[in-house]
Amino acid sequence: MTNQATTLPESFRELEPYVADWALPTRQERYDMRLSKTIDELGEFYDAIAPRAEEAIGYLNELDLNDLPDDATRLLHLLYSMVLVSYPVNVFKQPRIPDSGAAFFDTVAEPSV
Amino acid sequence: MTGIQERLATGKGKFTPLYPELGTGPVSYEDSISQEFFEAERDAVFRRSWLKVGRVEQVPRTGSYFTRDLPGLGSIVVVRQADGSVAAFHNVCAHRGNKVVWQEHPGEETKGFCREFSCKYHGWRYGLDGRVTHVTNEEQFFGLDKSALGMPRVHCDTWAGFIFVNFARDAEPLSGFLGDRMLELESYPFGEMTQHFGYKTRIKGNWKLSIDAVLEWYHPPYVHGRFIDPDVSKAEKLVPPVDAYHYDIFEPHMLTSVPGPPPLPPREPGALGPARRDQKWVYRLFRAGLFGPDDVPDVGPLPAALNKGRINSWGNDSFWLFPNFSFQIWARNFYITYQYWPESLDSHTYELDIYFPPPRNAQERLAQELVADSTIEFAMQDSNTVEATHSALATRANGKFHLSDQELLIRNFHKVIRDAVAAHQSSGER
Repeated sequence: MTNQATTLPESFRELEPYVADWALPTRQERYDMRLSKTIDELGEFYDAIAPRAEEAIGYLNELDLNDLPDDATRLLHLLYSMVLVSYPVNVFKQPRIPDSGAAFFDTVAEPSV
Repeated sequence: MTGIQERLATGKGKFTPLYPELGTGPVSYEDSISQEFFEAERDAVFRRSWLKVGRVEQVPRTGSYFTRDLPGLGSIVVVRQADGSVAAFHNVCAHRGNKVVWQEHPGEETKGFCREFSCKYHGWRYGLDGRVTHVTNEEQFFGLDKSALGMPRVHCDTWAGFIFVNFARDAEPLSGFLGDRMLELESYPFGEMTQHFGYKTRIKGNWKLSIDAVLEWYHPPYVHGRFIDPDVSKAEKLVPPVDAYHYDIFEPHMLTSVPGPPPLPPREPGALGPARRDQKWVYRLFRAGLFGPDDVPDVGPLPAALNKGRINSWGNDSFWLFPNFSFQIWARNFYITYQYWPESLDSHTYELDIYFPPPRNAQERLAQELVADSTIEFAMQDSNTVEATHSALATRANGKFHLSDQELLIRNFHKVIRDAVAAHQSSGER
């Protein structure tokens, strides 16, 4: 990867393989992606981003949240996705919430950033 | 007792006997499975109660509007008036009854900003006050008194930034309906919590069963066992003891308060430790959990009307407004609203909205994301249980059910609904 262009801030370029699937701007897209993956695939993404997460939060904290450059916005979206896969990976051991059957919440409002 | 249970136990006795009118006997759930009751309830409760339909932030300036399509009640237009007040109208044209305000899909709600409303059918126009301002080819009509025409008004008022409507012909004042105990909360800074996450779902079950599912703190080790500990016998020991909660009833409204964990202290650099597949590590990383962010934003002084039960390690107060709305004020300075709209005897929509103060940086924003996501993961489990309950109740294989002390608000909730139906029927009103 190191010789290729990255769409993330330079120091997070190793996460580039996850941008296409997980740097998604809306909860609905992230949730749909979660349900489309196996638990092993969710675990792989979690294991890739978790070790870099504290550093990523520190990086983003130095920027104006309401005026983030595109590369930082992608990194933030990866962290939103990490939040969303954390319960399946750490608690449920499956992509769906256990016993949630047909229940599903549509997102009708979310912050623009 | 386990540590958490020793810390939070109060030695308080049972609550239900404090409200002798509730009784302690078995209850019937006929009010949730009878079609006849459902129809009576729509008339007696939903057509004559103040119902929350939005927030004032949704109508920021003169001409800002949104529509609500309320099952069984109709479509309404809610709009900010030139004098700053908020008004509501039935979304019905005075000409031939067409729905006036909609976009693309007649059955979907919409929102926007305008100077006038214009009917898509024949171009009749309405001012923000709902009155007809223009009739296309007016001279073609017969004795039309344009000044008397409009979209019919629906009673509308606001409290603490919440917009309420009432479909009754004569409605009691909103402040009287809310009562002193609710009015004490008016100074809570709802209006500063503009960071909004909103969710909606449809649940196959009677709407009251959904409310039952969140009126008690008996279910968490079972419905949410895996969040707490996959081993139920351990999960049971990790929830607060039954006497740690607080309940209050101020008919027709009510309150439940729950304890919650204190926020984590600030983290020293390097203290997080290596990444682990452990949700507690995730909570420490993002500095948040189900009970809110660990870095609690300052929102100024809070009304003394919160945590009146003085419970230790206060987590939140859930205020239940008759008939279908709850706002839950959390110790960590955010609030969640829950609302349930019956569509039919065995179906309702459920709206869950979370409001935080605007985040100042990525850390605060991510903490909010974790709180919002945790809330939804829990709520989905609650919702699915409702479907299982309704389908089993509807068999009428059993007709008598048993409520423990922890479930006194369920007892009260069904009683106030049944009382409202009985009062309406005995008054002979239609």
